[in-house]
Amino acid sequence: MLTEIQEGKALNPVVKHITQEKINLYAEASGDFNPIHLDESFAATTPLGGTIAHGMLNLAYVSEMMTSAFGQSWLSEGKLRAKFKEPARPGDTLTINGKIDCVEQKDGVSYANCNFECLNQKGETIVTGETIIKLSSDKE
Amino acid sequence: MSVKTISYEELIPGYEFPPAIYELSASLVSKYLEAVDSAGDGFIPPLAITACVIAAMTGSLSLPSGTIVIHASQELEFFKLVPIGATIECHIGVAQKITRGKMSMLVLEFEVLDKGKEKVQSGRATIALPT
Repeated sequence: MLTEIQEGKALNPVVKHITQEKINLYAEASGDFNPIHLDESFAATTPLGGTIAHGMLNLAYVSEMMTSAFGQSWLSEGKLRAKFKEPARPGDTLTINGKIDCVEQKDGVSYANCNFECLNQKGETIVTGETIIKLSSDKE
Repeated sequence: MSVKTISYEELIPGYEFPPAIYELSASLVSKYLEAVDSAGDGFIPPLAITACVIAAMTGSLSLPSGTIVIHASQELEFFKLVPIGATIECHIGVAQKITRGKMSMLVLEFEVLDKGKEKVQSGRATIALPT
């Protein structure tokens, strides 16, 4: 976990390699069997040109970075807003970066506002977004 | 257990999918952690709960064969940790249905409650269905 909550502080990045096997496992775990994720011959006929990872798989990696930085504060009271820009594909290596944009106080409670981005090995943006984490309360 | 499905054409704003109940067993969590390539930390990852919401939605929605579903955006808010073995109830509704040219967009809102009816998670997902 982060020992210092400071504006501009970078979060430890998470790096993941996407494989078709991982996409298949996520489909099993989530029950999302849309053929765009699983059927390579079907996906090749679509404008996407091949299978793509589930958007929520990419967000799971973002959540891993946030959990590593903020622990239970993220798991129990986190907020996330994400936009999916490009699909992640089998063979991609994703790097999820994040940093603390600002720390603010509202009604006696401290919050860390972070931004994050998920890039592939070509530097293309796959996902961008923001998170808010409740840090502490005067009453605690 | 058979799940009643609804077709995409039948969906209208305000429609609520039948509530889905999941027991977050150790094996379900373990399967999720393997899928996301994570060691876990003793808690149920909140996105494992979101995965149950997606399973509930996809299990209840019947799409024409060959329809591509693309996740466009996602909002999530977590309210509490739930222990392994907890039972959750997923409530999903259609907030908006938009058609622009050859692109259809569906905005779904959801809430996840625990056994005591306390809110565990809420969210909003926008999915695109190019036709």
